[in-house]
Amino acid sequence: MLQSPTPHEVGSPKKTPLFQSSTQYKNWRFSEEQLMATRTTLNEAAVAAIRNTFESDSPGSSSDIQFLDAHEEHLLVKLYITKISQLCGHFRFPEEVEATGITYLKRFYLKNTVMDWHPKNVMLTALFLATKTTNHPISLESYTSNIPRTNPSDVLDLEFLVAQSLAFEFAVWHAHRAFWGIWLDEISQAPPHEQLQAIYDTALQHIRTSRLTDVELIYPPSQIALACLSLSHPEIAASWARSKHADTALEAIESIKRTITRDGDIPSVDVVREIDRRLKICKNPEKVVGSKAYLLKKAKEEKEAELKRVRKAESTRKAAEQDDPFGEELAGRANLDDDD
Amino acid sequence: MDAVEKANAERQKRWVKDQKVGEGTYAVVYRGRELATGRKIAIKKIKVGQFKDGLDMSAVREVKYLRELHHPNVIELLDVFSSKTNLNLVLEFLDTDLEMIIKDRSLVFLPADIKNWMAMTFRGLEFCHRNSILHRDLKPNNLLIASDGQLKIADFGLARDVADPGYKMTCQVITRWYRPPELLFGCRYYSTVVDIWSVGCIFAELMLRTPYLPGESDMDQLKTIFRALGTPTEEEWPGHTKLPDYVSVGQFPKTPLRDLFTAASADTLNLLSRCITYEPRKRISAKEALHHPYFFALPYPTHPSKLPKTAAQTASSRPLDEVDGNVDNTDGSGTSGVKNAPPKKLKRKLSGHDISRNIARRIDFTAS
Repeated sequence: MLQSPTPHEVGSPKKTPLFQSSTQYKNWRFSEEQLMATRTTLNEAAVAAIRNTFESDSPGSSSDIQFLDAHEEHLLVKLYITKISQLCGHFRFPEEVEATGITYLKRFYLKNTVMDWHPKNVMLTALFLATKTTNHPISLESYTSNIPRTNPSDVLDLEFLVAQSLAFEFAVWHAHRAFWGIWLDEISQAPPHEQLQAIYDTALQHIRTSRLTDVELIYPPSQIALACLSLSHPEIAASWARSKHADTALEAIESIKRTITRDGDIPSVDVVREIDRRLKICKNPEKVVGSKAYLLKKAKEEKEAELKRVRKAESTRKAAEQDDPFGEELAGRANLDDDD
Repeated sequence: MDAVEKANAERQKRWVKDQKVGEGTYAVVYRGRELATGRKIAIKKIKVGQFKDGLDMSAVREVKYLRELHHPNVIELLDVFSSKTNLNLVLEFLDTDLEMIIKDRSLVFLPADIKNWMAMTFRGLEFCHRNSILHRDLKPNNLLIASDGQLKIADFGLARDVADPGYKMTCQVITRWYRPPELLFGCRYYSTVVDIWSVGCIFAELMLRTPYLPGESDMDQLKTIFRALGTPTEEEWPGHTKLPDYVSVGQFPKTPLRDLFTAASADTLNLLSRCITYEPRKRISAKEALHHPYFFALPYPTHPSKLPKTAAQTASSRPLDEVDGNVDNTDGSGTSGVKNAPPKKLKRKLSGHDISRNIARRIDFTAS
């Protein structure tokens, strides 16, 4: 018959590996093709919408505009990834903050386009948010006062949008943490190696390079870490994998290694400058504060909000009347009396 | 409208706010429901506009951790959306909390009841600790109780990841009565066992029905602890006199726990003493606690659906009992059998329960 429950029986959770229950595993891993498709779709939708805005303002005005394509958008974002690293060096932020800020920036542009939101601003907000989510908060004042030509509102105005774009999923699993784990394992069991420090430094450098690429959106951090160790010292990586009975991982990491080597370069400033110049022309005028399209959109939103307020006030009034046990009917009769 | 804003608006539409149920310094709590299903929910609306540094840290922590944690004994964050300058957390609705249950003088706690509350607390906490998350504010008020009796750890506004060795953490955490002595001495390097001390205090409070170590100030807190457990010796807690804020608050003799907890079993007192051990490295972990003999000895823990409930809870509880096959429906009171019920009226089908109830008559802590 029924037994009294023991502590292990009642609602005992299934133990899935921790990473597999993370939001990163569930919502932020894609195939290369998916990434490509997402970016292309976003880009095309943005181009269509902006073209529409231009055309409705003055027909034919969009025909000369060279809109950015998805690849160019991506290059621009990539350049701003390097800016995050520079800022982190300036502020002496821990690696956790830097890596998290970079992840936020990449995730943001899987939901938005640079033609709506320039990475120059989003980057500042993503990094500021990362200081908070990794528990290294600094005041907004000391943050912006250390960055030239930046006001607190530049950072704060986008904070909600960035948080929303991240679906409020702030926790990030990083390759450098996984690498630290592998390394602690390795130095405790491997025969002493005279170049240990150099191997470590090189591997960490590869991890930093990997942040310029899409690997973190495709592979789990542990595999990226192993790939970077393998780039630094293939034998040590292989022996570690074998000691964990993870030989199959060695095949998996080959494509990570290729991607890091292929995509880990910093985009050339000249190319990006040209993209940025074109962006000035093709960016969404509705997002440019003070522009005609911006004011039009604001006015429309204001009108909708007003309509909503009126509707709400109406329904509140109706509800209040219904709640009144004597309300409507008496009022009706009173009217009739008046007519008499 | 941007895709992101659109998605936000879509999410917002899923939930309805019905009634304001509480207001704090940084949040307003509403009772509401899921539009499609009618399921009861709570919406915690955090005012963001008023903070000069944007989203504030307690909101960030709460969202960050609850987004990741899914466990029967941790409160479920169902959704997050923004409205104007507010952040809205949609949480599962929970009727009451352990503090209200402890304070409800009409309720009688049996040792088996306490055992299940402890089991659920340790289970939820073990899950947090397994994810290397420190809660840092455990107290009866933050242990919420669902209508089916499940206990849920809530309020992750002070939570953080366990720091790497060598990284300092603040010692200004955990509500004073539940704060371990190492934090009171200003220790900046600590671990998951700070939460265990809090659980120990809650354990004692469940038996005493009154806070176990209610200090009036941080200094008085140390005195209160030492008065109850004796001043720690160097042998008992090596190095504690070298902690940053160490002060001597006088010598108090050790009195056995047995003197205060007269009716508790040996297993109970052993687990309690392992939770409130001075030396943090010797304090029991949540995982070890779940394997402690206390949980395997008679009386077995009460089934969650049969735990003592406050009047408000009884009124709102769903008829979960039907699936259980272990309910006396003849008096029509269902789960409320525990509450206020004279022992003779309790009709139990299982002898196991009879045993636990009988023992319970002997170990009744409500008199204190």
